[in-house]
Amino acid sequence: MGVLDYFKSVPSMTAEEVRQFLAEKHPDEYNLVDVRQPKEYERDHIPGANLIPMADLKDRLDEIDPEKPTIAY
Amino acid sequence: MEGGIRAWKGMVAQGLPEAGIAFFSPAADAEEIVGLAWALEEGSKFFYQGVSEQFSSDKEAQEMFSWLVSAEKSHERNLLETYEALTGARPDFEKLRGKFSDSLSGKVMEGGIPVKEALAWAKDKGVSESLELAIAMEVNAYDLYIKMSRTIEDKQAQQIFKRLSIEEQVHLKKLAGLLDKRV
Repeated sequence: MGVLDYFKSVPSMTAEEVRQFLAEKHPDEYNLVDVRQPKEYERDHIPGANLIPMADLKDRLDEIDPEKPTIAY
Repeated sequence: MEGGIRAWKGMVAQGLPEAGIAFFSPAADAEEIVGLAWALEEGSKFFYQGVSEQFSSDKEAQEMFSWLVSAEKSHERNLLETYEALTGARPDFEKLRGKFSDSLSGKVMEGGIPVKEALAWAKDKGVSESLELAIAMEVNAYDLYIKMSRTIEDKQAQQIFKRLSIEEQVHLKKLAGLLDKRV
């Protein structure tokens, strides 16, 4: 990753756009990542979300398929 | 996602990533998974059957829950057909019963909830509350099937879980539609 990549804007979606996106796609077609803490995930999470807390993200990047769109919350 | 989970007004699943997976963990191959998933569908069917009888005086509610009973039946059928298409054989239920006698009796429904307890809970509840329980149970099953399709190593079992998750998604849409009508 070059230094310029840090300045790339990351598109964001509203909750409604995400709902529509998830309804139209199969879970195989995207990465849905919950970056909160395990206790928050336990309380409630979007169905099918993969729990990767922020602190673990760097070590678990291989769980995110770079070929697919990724939604994080 | 803008606003994070607080902005999310859709369905949510509960429990840690490993929740529910333990139920399937003794099942290593596609046949055992189909057997256990089938038993959970059977449990859900008993639950919907019981609730449908409870709301016998409410025609619309009874029709809803009867539809759910038939949806579970077709779910079971699809599960067996998927297994057959993948392996060219039918699961050997006798063998599976011997191995998982506690889990294969239809006493537990999707989401790992004992049917008896769910029916006892629903006894003095209204239609919307029973539908909410159904949605909570199905959404957890949907969540579990997606995770299982990613974690299980057996390729055929992966396909079965994928199929199950697709069916749960359809099922949930219908349930949510029914609930919208009642609230």
